[in-house]
Amino acid sequence: MPEITPGKAYGFFTDTSVCIGCKACEVACKTWNLLEGHEPSFLDGFDNTGGLDAENWRHVQFHDNVPDQTLGSGQGSVWLMMSDVCKHCQQASCMEVCPTGAIIRTEFDSVFIQPDVCNGCRDCIAACPYDVIGANETTGVVQKCTLCYDRLQGDMMPACAQACPTESIQFGEVDVLRESAQKRVDALHAAGVSKARLYGADDSIYGGLNAFFLLMDEPSAYRLPNERNAVLPSRNNIPGYLGALVTGVLGVLGGLIAIRRRGQSPEPAEATAGGAPDGTAGAADTPDAEAREKADG
Amino acid sequence: MAEHFVAPPDWLWYILFYFFLAGLSGGSYTIATLLRLRGAPEDAPLSRLGYYAAWPPLLICPILLILDLGTPLRFWHMIWNLTPGDAGLNFKYWSPMSLGVWALIVYSGIATVSFAETLARDGKLRMGLTDWLVRVMDGLLGKVFAVVGMVFALFIAGYTGVLLAVSNQPVWSDTWALGGLFLASGLSGSAALLMFLTRYRPEARASFGMLAVSERLYALLEGALIVVFVLTLLWAGTQGLVFGFPWLLLWIVVLAGLLPGLRGLVVHRLSPTGEAVVAPVAVPLLVLAGVLALRGAIIFSIQV
Amino acid sequence: MTNHWRDIRHADMILINGANPAEAHPVGFQWLMKAKTERGAKIIHCDPRYTRTSAVSDTHLRVRTGTDVAYFGGLINHVLSNDLQHDEYVRWATNAAFVVKEGYSFDAGMFNGYDEATGTYDPSQWAYELDGDRARLDIDHPRSVLNLLKRHYSRYTPEMVSRITGIPVEQFRQVAAQVGEMGRPDKVMTIVYAVGLTHHTTGVQLIRSGAILQLLLGNMGRPGGGMNAERGHANIQGNTDHAISWDILPGYLRIPAPGQQNLDDYVEQSASKQLHDNALNFFGTNYRAFMVSLLKSWYGDNATKDNEFAFDHIPKPASNASWITIFDQALRGKMEGLILSGMTATSIGPDSNQVMQALGKLKWLCVMDPFSTTSSEFWKAPGANPRDIQTEVFLLPCTHWIEKDGSFVNSGRWSQWKDAVLPPEGEARHDHWILAELFARVKAQYESQGGRHPDPIRQLTLPYRDPRKPTLDELAKEINGTDLRNGKRLESFADLKDDGSTTAGDWIYSGSYPEAGNFAKRRAGIQDPKRNDPTGMGFYHNWGWSWPLNRRVLYNRASADEQGKPWDPKRPGIFWDGAKWIGDVPDYPADAKPGDDAPLPFIMTGEGVARIFSNGVADGPFPEHYEPVESPVRNPLHPDVSTTPAAHLYDEKAGRPNRFGTAADFPYVATSYRLTEHEHYVTQHVSHLVQLQPEAFVEVPEQLAKEKGIASGDHVRVSSKRGKLEVRAVVTKRLGPLTVDGKQVYQIGIPIHWGFVGINTGQHWLANALTPFVGDASARTPEFKAFLVNIEKM
Ligand SMILES: Nc1nc2c(c(=O)[nH]1)N[C@H]1C(S)=C(S)[C@@H](COP(=O)(O)OP(=O)(O)OC[C@H]3O[C@@H](n4cnc5c(=O)[nH]c(N)nc54)[C@H](O)[C@@H]3O)O[C@H]1N2
Ligand SMILES: Nc1nc2c(c(=O)[nH]1)N[C@H]1C(S)=C(S)[C@@H](COP(=O)(O)OP(=O)(O)OC[C@H]3O[C@@H](n4cnc5c(=O)[nH]c(N)nc54)[C@H](O)[C@@H]3O)O[C@H]1N2
Ligand code: SF4
Ligand code: SF4
Ligand code: SF4
Ligand code: SF4
Ligand code: SF4
Ligand SMILES: [Mo]
Repeated sequence: MPEITPGKAYGFFTDTSVCIGCKACEVACKTWNLLEGHEPSFLDGFDNTGGLDAENWRHVQFHDNVPDQTLGSGQGSVWLMMSDVCKHCQQASCMEVCPTGAIIRTEFDSVFIQPDVCNGCRDCIAACPYDVIGANETTGVVQKCTLCYDRLQGDMMPACAQACPTESIQFGEVDVLRESAQKRVDALHAAGVSKARLYGADDSIYGGLNAFFLLMDEPSAYRLPNERNAVLPSRNNIPGYLGALVTGVLGVLGGLIAIRRRGQSPEPAEATAGGAPDGTAGAADTPDAEAREKADG
Repeated sequence: MAEHFVAPPDWLWYILFYFFLAGLSGGSYTIATLLRLRGAPEDAPLSRLGYYAAWPPLLICPILLILDLGTPLRFWHMIWNLTPGDAGLNFKYWSPMSLGVWALIVYSGIATVSFAETLARDGKLRMGLTDWLVRVMDGLLGKVFAVVGMVFALFIAGYTGVLLAVSNQPVWSDTWALGGLFLASGLSGSAALLMFLTRYRPEARASFGMLAVSERLYALLEGALIVVFVLTLLWAGTQGLVFGFPWLLLWIVVLAGLLPGLRGLVVHRLSPTGEAVVAPVAVPLLVLAGVLALRGAIIFSIQV
Repeated sequence: MTNHWRDIRHADMILINGANPAEAHPVGFQWLMKAKTERGAKIIHCDPRYTRTSAVSDTHLRVRTGTDVAYFGGLINHVLSNDLQHDEYVRWATNAAFVVKEGYSFDAGMFNGYDEATGTYDPSQWAYELDGDRARLDIDHPRSVLNLLKRHYSRYTPEMVSRITGIPVEQFRQVAAQVGEMGRPDKVMTIVYAVGLTHHTTGVQLIRSGAILQLLLGNMGRPGGGMNAERGHANIQGNTDHAISWDILPGYLRIPAPGQQNLDDYVEQSASKQLHDNALNFFGTNYRAFMVSLLKSWYGDNATKDNEFAFDHIPKPASNASWITIFDQALRGKMEGLILSGMTATSIGPDSNQVMQALGKLKWLCVMDPFSTTSSEFWKAPGANPRDIQTEVFLLPCTHWIEKDGSFVNSGRWSQWKDAVLPPEGEARHDHWILAELFARVKAQYESQGGRHPDPIRQLTLPYRDPRKPTLDELAKEINGTDLRNGKRLESFADLKDDGSTTAGDWIYSGSYPEAGNFAKRRAGIQDPKRNDPTGMGFYHNWGWSWPLNRRVLYNRASADEQGKPWDPKRPGIFWDGAKWIGDVPDYPADAKPGDDAPLPFIMTGEGVARIFSNGVADGPFPEHYEPVESPVRNPLHPDVSTTPAAHLYDEKAGRPNRFGTAADFPYVATSYRLTEHEHYVTQHVSHLVQLQPEAFVEVPEQLAKEKGIASGDHVRVSSKRGKLEVRAVVTKRLGPLTVDGKQVYQIGIPIHWGFVGINTGQHWLANALTPFVGDASARTPEFKAFLVNIEKM
């Protein structure tokens, strides 16, 4: 492991074709980051973690598509296992919306949530397209993978990568990882595993994911948006405000029209059963003169 | 087909009522200002009523927002960035939440001034500065102030929809209509609210016809935006989430809330009605229920 | 393991049978993945279930549990009938050419030499024909091992394999074709196995059938080859080496038998005899030296030539003390007390309900453990009435291994020293201190009160600075052994003497802690591969220490041909450089020149070669397929001898009621196994792991679940003749129907990890409530992996 140098971009290449679903990464992450985890609950037998959140910064997904005949169905392509984590997106949706500036890009080019700055508004949760961030129930702030910021500062590789026995999680400089990922996917293609593909290794997804993946199926099979669906929250800023602006203009116009129309002679009021006059109807002509004068002035 | 794999932010009851109240405050302020600037002299009481109505929600709104935070005592982090080495004012125009916080602060100030001014005009507030205030507000500055206030009011009523849209949540981010929709429904709700309040403010009933016509137009506007909303969702393929059971029940309330306005439009066109009568209770309440239900359906359907 | 973990990456093909290394050995599994990703090795996983190992293998064969002898038998048949064996290897390095003694027979499922009365074979009847005291060699003889082997396995046609195992014929053929390639000298295959093979009444034969295949393919002794047992607990290999089993002394010396009057008798009956002029028979020749050194180590000055080195002090048990036998004896009321240390009998034994009955018959039970266990709490197990149980239970808090130093010996026989990571908690004491204290007190009682046979206790030496608190470092030195003439610690077991001048607590560890230091502590590893691994073969001889003599691959002489040239020059184990053997620590005299008179390659056996035919096993010289004791079908090969005639049927022998079920009542086959998230029962105390696997469940094939209306997450009742579980179902296609002998058979998977102790105490069901109380013919290992159950939706 070369030295971990501030100023370079670090991340993960997660090769799902060799993931064995051992969850060592989950436990290592919890142990290092002192995450307690949730009350035990049975979900589906193999994945009882459920997803990423404030207590789970690594989560191993399981997708059982095992066919009836299993002879040639290994290669990591029918019982999908994938260790999910924050993608440390180059264009990070979470960072985009955060109102407090709690989410920063560190000297290792990772996306880090400063726990002492965050105030728990959860806008980032609404924004993250990967269901990564969760709110801590006791402290109220949101949490996610830090790319082991503290370990990187101490020249140690992230706990999850260190624990992974099969090197499904490879940590390193993003450029170097991209090269080895390309080699791996080429090797798989050469071996006839045509469904293998890289996800997030180039800039087509959020400008590139510093934590990118080799997948054995469509991205959506792993709950990852594909290129078309990987979009930023800010895409709606201009159309959203424009829509509101047009509505605002129409609203003002409507109000003005209503004021105009009011000049016309009124029709009699609708007699509505629910709204019987309360006897003060005759007071309609008593607005105080002083106020009216002032308003006209 | 837009596919989303996000987690809901758990913006629930606090946010629902914040959105509701922000819409009513903004809408009321807008109507009040329009009346003030373009109305007849007899519209003044309603205008004042509008400024009154715009204010109390603003006492509650920040509380709702603050309580919704995971760490309420850190509300001020919205305003001041504490990042070491990067400390300073937080103003992130690309983040609707940041923008919204600032807008809310400014708007609260404006609405408070308007509120005080209105009190002064009604002779309910007599302090050294009040006369001066009223005088200033009567001038050009006052008009500018009111217009600026109205712009913020419209922003507050509408940005909440943009806030939802600027995310990656299904439905919310699949449409650009939410800002407009919330604004239109805020206006329609405000018209209804003011109608309702005229019960207790007889002198404002003179402008009832204006409210009735506004209500019709805003209902039309809201209805049109609902159509746009549906169309954008159909395009994204996520309509099932927000129009499924039990949310359909809320949508029925939403439509019921549009009914009085739309019916009025059909029956009376744009003729003002109901001036000088006491407003029925059921109609404005139905409209307001629709305003709440609209936000409820959109906020809750994708989060629970 | 004959080889070691890192070595697996040299394989071209990896057969995994009866093991699920991705889940049970995830760290070791990296080497299988490296073989795959770095050299394109093919992995074939043969398992009743599609597991996390299958998920990353190239091929998964869905096999009926307990039938791997048929699978391996089919492969052996494929190799032999297509002449795919590595002929040169087979002739030179195995006993293929040895002629078997007249009288050998195999007929309708029975070998010769069976005694109906005792229900056992007499293995001495499976012997070689002798010329004088040497075996007769003639590979063309009709009774040569090779010809008998061919005949024996000719019955294992692909169709028969399929009928027995449920593997479709076509799939079997595909795999056989690939495996057959591995007999080429430039190819090498490894077989990886674990308790999916051992936990059967035919466990030893299952393993032997794999070993025979490997010998035929010429893969034993070669890097990337071998027959590799992935061992259990982090130190189970060390346990075995130091005689955790009842039938051996440390270093695999046999436990003395009744009637052996002196060392001569013992060695005569225990040590192998030289059967070939060129056989070194190293073990046999040195047996006496090893035993005497062990006795010297135990009895010190009290072991003299005159008293046969205290041979009399060693028990010569007439009956065995295997795991099941202990509880069988307790059930029979023949035991007073029991100490369980680091082992939770109630959870792990077959037929837990019966085991709990056995514990209830004891006067006292002492549990040494860092945690409370299902054994220390058995008297308040769900359904038990503490009033009815008179057993007095002691729980002695022990340190956990993480709180002590000492060595772990991994599956590859590498002994690696570790430090204590945490300080002991509370009043916990080290196991060895508890035992030393216990010994001191028992000894004091013998000294003060005398006794019937006090000497074995009184004369035992504990040469530690504080005999009540020995250090593990002292023990490690004692195990290594000393030359008593100069007081120096030994460098090799070759220096052990039978005259009482040397000691060795475990001869195979001689050389692990010489004067130069504790070699288990060495850490010259991948920091500097060039220096620490000069051959590039991953031996890393200065990392830790492996027995014997720091050898990484056993039988490595067979990695090179007779002339000393590696079969595959790219993957040399050792080779002859003209003057000496280079590479791994040679399993051969270091300067023995190749040639006609050179010693034969397998230096430990009397034959000098590896045994395809063997009389070291209790139930047959060749592995034969027998059905599990509980099976849905009768053995298609010989329906009248369906199960092995040598299995140990304890209940029947003790006159207890039958506890075996039949397919009529319990129509489904079940197997039990581990999940990666838990370590047996102890991790029920670890909250992060309980979160990962919170609740007991069983895996149910989708089709069966449909028939029964069971959905994932439903609660089901799984019952056998012996007990039941009421747990969740996980419905999956990873288990599927099999066609066995024309019948459709379903298999149900049962993870073992839950019990009534731990964080999630609601999960109190014991998987072993279901398993049968029956043991393998040779090793007496319980049949945890194949039994019959029924399943209902609750
Ligand atoms: N996570 C974890 N790891 C462990 C342990 C643990 O408790 N948890 N325990 C350790 C111990 S003590 C041991 S002994 C090892 C055991 O390691 P393994 O033997 O690998 O473990 P098991 O899961 O018991 O069984 C392995 C596989 O055998 C299959 N099987 C059952 N019957 C048969 C059969 O007849 N033929 C074939 N081909 N396959 C069969 C099962 O379906 C299962 O997948 O694991 C060690 N490692
Ligand atoms: N049905 C079924 N049953 C099985 C199996 C199966 O596959 N199927 N597998 C079998 C196999 S292979 C095995 S190995 C057994 C495993 O059975 P066990 O070895 O009994 O299982 P563990 O839970 O590992 O128990 C070890 C105990 O040792 C304690 N311990 C840990 N460290 C120390 C120490 O330093 N000193 C002492 N004194 N105690 C310590 C722990 O607290 C724990 O209670 O189960 C067997 N039972
Ligand atoms: S994955 Fe989510 S949390 Fe991580 S950087 Fe991207 S948007 Fe932010
Ligand atoms: S929850 Fe914290 S990190 Fe997320 S957007 Fe709000 S302030 Fe930023
Ligand atoms: S990098 Fe660190 S924080 Fe992120 S998942 Fe890995 S262990 Fe957890
Ligand atoms: S540690 Fe590695 S192999 Fe294990 S689940 Fe995590 S990514 Fe997969
Ligand atoms: S638990 Fe320990 S022994 Fe078992 S695989 Fe993990 S590291 Fe190896
Ligand atoms: Mo084991």
